[in-house]
Amino acid sequence: MTRWRAALSPSNCALLGAAALLALAPFVLPVYATTLATEALILGLFAMSLDLMVGYARLISFGHAAAYGLGAYACGYVLLHTALPMLGAIAAATLFAGVLAIGIAWVCTIATGVSFSMLTLAFAQLLYAVAFRWTSVTGASDGLAGIPRRPGPFGLALFDSRTGFYYLVLFCLAAGFLFCRALVSSPFGAVLRGIRENEAKTKALGYDTRRYKIAVVAIAYALGGLAGALYAPFAGFANTELLFWLLSGQVLIMVIVGGAGTLVGPILGAAFFLLASQILSAYTDSWALFFGLLFIAFVLFAPEGIWGLLTSRLVRPKARAATPDAAA
Amino acid sequence: MATEGRLTRRTVLGATATAVATPWLWRRAFAAEPIKIGMPTALTGALASVGQQQKRGAQYFAKLQNAKGGLIGRPIELLIEDTAGDPATCVRKAREMVERDKVRIFLGGMTLSSEALAIVPKLAAWNAIFMSSDDGDGRLTASDFVPNFFRANTSGPMDTRTVALWMRASPLKRFYGIGMDYAWGHDSVNSFEKLVKSEKRDFVGSVFSPIGTKDFSSYILKIREAKPDAVFIVMQGDDYVAFLTQAHEYRLSPKVQMLTSIVDLASTRAVGAAAQGLAGSTRYCYSYDIPANKKFVAMWQKAHGGALPDVFEGEEWQACEILAAGIAKAGSIEPAKLRPALETVAINSIKGHVAMRACDHQAVQQGFMVRVVEKPGASEPALDVIAVYPAAEVTPPCRKETYPD
Amino acid sequence: MTVECLNALSQSALLFFLGVGLTLIFGIMRIVNFAHGSFYMLGAFVGYSLARLAGSFWLALVLAPLSVGILGALFELGVLRFLYRRDATAFLMVTFGLALAIGEVARLVWGSQPLEVTTPKALSGVIFLFGLPFPLYRLFLTGAGAAVAILLWQFLERTRLGLLIRATSQNAEMMHALGTDVRLVRSFVFGIGCALAGLGGVLAAPLVTASLGMAVNVIIDAFVIVIIGGMGSFAGSILGALLVAFVQIFGEYYFPDFAMALMYLVMLLVLVLRPGGLLGKEA
Repeated sequence: MTRWRAALSPSNCALLGAAALLALAPFVLPVYATTLATEALILGLFAMSLDLMVGYARLISFGHAAAYGLGAYACGYVLLHTALPMLGAIAAATLFAGVLAIGIAWVCTIATGVSFSMLTLAFAQLLYAVAFRWTSVTGASDGLAGIPRRPGPFGLALFDSRTGFYYLVLFCLAAGFLFCRALVSSPFGAVLRGIRENEAKTKALGYDTRRYKIAVVAIAYALGGLAGALYAPFAGFANTELLFWLLSGQVLIMVIVGGAGTLVGPILGAAFFLLASQILSAYTDSWALFFGLLFIAFVLFAPEGIWGLLTSRLVRPKARAATPDAAA
Repeated sequence: MATEGRLTRRTVLGATATAVATPWLWRRAFAAEPIKIGMPTALTGALASVGQQQKRGAQYFAKLQNAKGGLIGRPIELLIEDTAGDPATCVRKAREMVERDKVRIFLGGMTLSSEALAIVPKLAAWNAIFMSSDDGDGRLTASDFVPNFFRANTSGPMDTRTVALWMRASPLKRFYGIGMDYAWGHDSVNSFEKLVKSEKRDFVGSVFSPIGTKDFSSYILKIREAKPDAVFIVMQGDDYVAFLTQAHEYRLSPKVQMLTSIVDLASTRAVGAAAQGLAGSTRYCYSYDIPANKKFVAMWQKAHGGALPDVFEGEEWQACEILAAGIAKAGSIEPAKLRPALETVAINSIKGHVAMRACDHQAVQQGFMVRVVEKPGASEPALDVIAVYPAAEVTPPCRKETYPD
Repeated sequence: MTVECLNALSQSALLFFLGVGLTLIFGIMRIVNFAHGSFYMLGAFVGYSLARLAGSFWLALVLAPLSVGILGALFELGVLRFLYRRDATAFLMVTFGLALAIGEVARLVWGSQPLEVTTPKALSGVIFLFGLPFPLYRLFLTGAGAAVAILLWQFLERTRLGLLIRATSQNAEMMHALGTDVRLVRSFVFGIGCALAGLGGVLAAPLVTASLGMAVNVIIDAFVIVIIGGMGSFAGSILGALLVAFVQIFGEYYFPDFAMALMYLVMLLVLVLRPGGLLGKEA
């Protein structure tokens, strides 16, 4: 009984509603908007993966582009050079990013605070430098072009069309979201929050905090890698920009603009980021100026991000108190 | 809301003015759908200087054409949006133009070859034609050729070839190559190396600098140690300007002849005294002395406050002329009709006779060699055309990036 | 070899101006300034305009950093001031936004073509080392770097304001409790940091011309310097600048294929061995 009530809480109903709207979107939206929505969802998944680290364990990564780029390059390479179908390539790339992340995380978690951030940045830039030089695999600064959406297995071509691909991305995002939500409300998530609030205390309670941090970084990289792996067949190409620090900065901004530590917020942040830059740049060459001012305004006037704005307006104070993460 | 704003932003050039001023029969013709031409262009970022030139060139052409009543009775509408030089953004904007605005024609724009290479595989699915105005990568008309791609501009291999042809008659013996570390740089330096060797001269080394390099001192020392007679430079934008400035700082020039693959006004201006004596090929030069070009330069200067048209403004103009000739010939913008029409277009452009060839969609055109000279009394250095090479010698064989001799 | 070392020294002088500003700001305010490269670029552009207006590079060398510094201080007063209670990500976003805005304003004001800043007459010559010309301006850069380093060091060690800055860097709350106007110190330091970046920009302009690409290109170098040297460490920024310049110059000369990766490898190594940087406090 209580379980059912919890399942039908206002926030869950809102989520279900949003999911239903997204599922219907391709039937209502004009084609170009479906394409744009696909990209927004991919970026949303990317931003949400970073939120696991930033919002729940206060592991502020300046190098999350590494995850995205790894996923995109791996998926692109597999699709261009093997006969593996698209779904297989995406899965392989996700795994690849996640496994490599264990090594990266092992090194990065030697440090904390700003030094951690800088280590992640150093790794991402190192990968960037490698991608820039490893022409036979990455195509250097020209990147990989003409990445196909190969059907299969068993001739399954469901996801190759514009709409089909949209649903594939939506499914990945939804699954990723449910997974992350389960993760942060599990005992594992409780330890992460413990690390966020007071790492020394959590350690004193007998938790090997570093191991937890490595785990969450690996998961975040795998999900970020999944986003990158979706991007490669979506755009049909991958290049070094996907590993560049600028993208790492941008995805961090998506998380903050949306509202860190809320999972949903960063998805909204990513959509906002993409749409705002898209619309502004269609109006004026000076879009970067307004875009920049917009960020400053956000920090000054909406410190809790888009999700904070929405929840303070729409959800009753009681429901708000029930989701303390939104305020954190 | 979006539609309204987009119309103000877009350049529906002259269409309204003409519609008001002409009798209703004309107006009915203009009620016909405009010809939408998509131009995702690097208006900001490291190659903004090139992108802004492309934009000016295309806008000026559209303005004049629309004042004359448009093309095949329809006004030209340019959709120019910023890609910041990022291929990902370029693909997104291009796809949106196809899906939202039903664009069937792309015009360079696509400032970087990497942007073009990302777009080209999608042209068939989009059922769109792409007329390049500056993309130099040789592969676009060779290994990466697709039927919907056309190149109105001089390609990278053609720039290199022009320098090589000039070199044949020069006393220079030892050559060094420096290029920006990406496709265009490697492509051009390597093909230059082959050309030097086939001339039985010495190629004493090459080096590639990552995009965004600020300090070239190590590269310059390396070049100095190799003791070449000339350095072949394949660079554009900020890096190019920084290299020339620092090469002068180390007094590499004038002792070593600087040879550049694209000599332009903007960089020459930015480098100042360090550009003296610089020579190289160029894709378009305002001082090329033929009536068509003289007329164009005069017109351009009048419309742009006395400013001379630079390389990519001239190249953009030529690309527009070729595209317009193709559309006029086809009487349609449907790719199925436009493609065969474009394949046989030949015009007398501001660069002389230019003919599109059907086998690889490269515009066959002359090669220009220029030198930076100081004109007495002038406030800035001038470019002199020192040699013009016939199209047959400059253009590579079909679908090739290399030359038989 | 000697020539390469001289090159590396002049290069490290330029990097030092960037790194020391960033590290001072970090020391006092604990913020990562993503707009630092933009102030550097602004220095070059303002320097260009001033040099043209006044007809003197030297005047521009004084006035351009000053105006960039004032601009930085104003930004601190107008925006950053309200954010000290917030976490580091707020600064990140604000300075990121600022960097975008400055870049576009610069494009609107100065256009997208790179602009020439002529080397002053007195320094445009060369001296001969082992019979080969070496630019005088590079020697001047090295000298300028050393001079500014000594001046700053004396300022931090000897003056009352310098003492305040060092103390605030150690413990801001304590200083506040002792009655120091910490807010004033912050505005001042942010201004100084930006002015130093601007100075680097003006000095670099004759070498690389003033261009929009400057900002993105240098910011990551500046980060690497500060991280290697130690966040907030004055001496560390000197060491970091030297290390980065030597790795870059010699890397490009001897292993051009690995030059870029080499710098990040050094950064990784330092961080792993000493997370706080070479001369920084343990993080």
